[in-house]
Amino acid sequence: MDAITIKNLKKIYPKIEALKGISLSIQKGEFFGLLGPNGAGKTTTIHILTGLANKTSGDVMLFGKDIEEDYKEARALIGLVPQEFNFDQFEKVYNILYFASGYFGISSNLRKVRIEKVLRELGLWEKKDMKAITLSGGMKRKLMIARALIHQPKILILDEPTAGVDVETRKSIWKFIRKLNQEGVTILLTTHYLEEAEELCERIAIINHGEIITLDSKNNLLKLLEGERLCLTLKEEIKIPANLKKYNVVLNGKIMTIALDSKKDHWETVLADIQGLPIEKMETQKNKLEDVFIHLTNE
Amino acid sequence: MSNLTGMWTLAQREISRFLRVWQQTIIPPIITSTLFILIFGYSLGSRIKMVGGIGYLEFIIPGLLMMGVIMSAYMNTSSSLFISKFQKNIQEVLVSPLAYWQVIAALTLAAVLRALLVGIGILIVSFLFANLVVGNIFILLYFIIMVSIIFAFAGIATALWATSFDKMNVFATFLITPLTYLGGVFFSVQMLPPMWQNFAKFNPILYMVDGFRYGFIGTSDVNIWYSVILVFLLVVGFGALCVHLFKIGYKLRD
Repeated sequence: MDAITIKNLKKIYPKIEALKGISLSIQKGEFFGLLGPNGAGKTTTIHILTGLANKTSGDVMLFGKDIEEDYKEARALIGLVPQEFNFDQFEKVYNILYFASGYFGISSNLRKVRIEKVLRELGLWEKKDMKAITLSGGMKRKLMIARALIHQPKILILDEPTAGVDVETRKSIWKFIRKLNQEGVTILLTTHYLEEAEELCERIAIINHGEIITLDSKNNLLKLLEGERLCLTLKEEIKIPANLKKYNVVLNGKIMTIALDSKKDHWETVLADIQGLPIEKMETQKNKLEDVFIHLTNE
Repeated sequence: MSNLTGMWTLAQREISRFLRVWQQTIIPPIITSTLFILIFGYSLGSRIKMVGGIGYLEFIIPGLLMMGVIMSAYMNTSSSLFISKFQKNIQEVLVSPLAYWQVIAALTLAAVLRALLVGIGILIVSFLFANLVVGNIFILLYFIIMVSIIFAFAGIATALWATSFDKMNVFATFLITPLTYLGGVFFSVQMLPPMWQNFAKFNPILYMVDGFRYGFIGTSDVNIWYSVILVFLLVVGFGALCVHLFKIGYKLRD
């Protein structure tokens, strides 16, 4: 049974069609990425899954439970880490988790055990008596992760979980959620950091203007743009020579980037064409998910 | 899935919220009522003749108590839910497996408790100044609890509807306060000219105050059963409205 099944999901706001009938399935235990530019429909999709938005039409099932007809059972399966801080900022860290886990029907005694465990794992135990407002941005993100996990959900949904956190915190969050996934938790991640999706996700859907424009494994997506880029650092600023106009060339000051298509561009020809340029340094780069994303969304 | 633990947890949070700021939630309505008792009842009231066969002070106390109960229940749910919406921490409840009726029940339970604490406080002050006799404890409890529930529900509906602090105050300022003051707290409806008596009968708070007063003095301006039934119907009506609003996610879900 799939963890998440979405069929022909539509969401129409008075002035905009946010989702134009998207369909996708996420398997149990999968680490799935939902990418797209701002306003593409990622957060709307997540809000519908978690009960924060009503769908206009279509079907959404979580482990076979319909999100509207069986809304209580469906919501018990999900842990949500939203994009914006949505806890009572003036409440103590411990109490935020105590109340949130209570809403999921967890007994008082079990709550105490779980709160200590998750706070220790995320390095927040020492902060348990502090008011949430006093925490740093990274700690607040971790607090939202702790809250989402306190009822041990089968599906964890992370909406931009590392937005605005430093590199070290980001890496520790990656490590933590990767471990959760290895323990069997199905993860749906949306992120603006394509490096994050490339690092973590097995399959990726790219959504734009309310439609899924591609859905494939990360490796297949990376193959979509076969080829490399040749990056030249020039000694002086020049104009793009006429013989290079057959390539996809971007010139930014003294940095010239030539995108190469491995099917038609041959190295001997390329090297011959760049002869005579005032090259100081030359290197090649493999395509990244970011290139695929830009290619597909034209953003 | 019954999830009574979840419901009780939410009620606990709401109760601890108003108890934490008891100086703002419990004490002010008791002070206001005490001032009314001292000024209108004890001081000016001594110059007013008996109303409905009882002293003016004894007449106004049930109404003052009902005023405190109404505003406390209403303010508890409306302010808590509105701030939760504003801060977005209502989302913690919306993503949980709590049934819609359980969310409403938990918010209402806390509001009723706050209203009861305020009511008990006003009652204690009243006993210091007046010769109050409880005529029918069951009628008193029925009205105090049912009226608290009605205004807790009304507070929930208002908080869902309101999109700004200004809108939040519209109902309290332009509807509840005037209807309460005109609802027979300070006068018997029979003291009004016949035309105004007919108008007054469209004011639901009149039946609440009158029914509650019956619990003390054993007589009422309106047939007590009318008041009992009206209050019951209002609980059912407002309750159904709140469940419906939560179910459709009225101004809660996008």
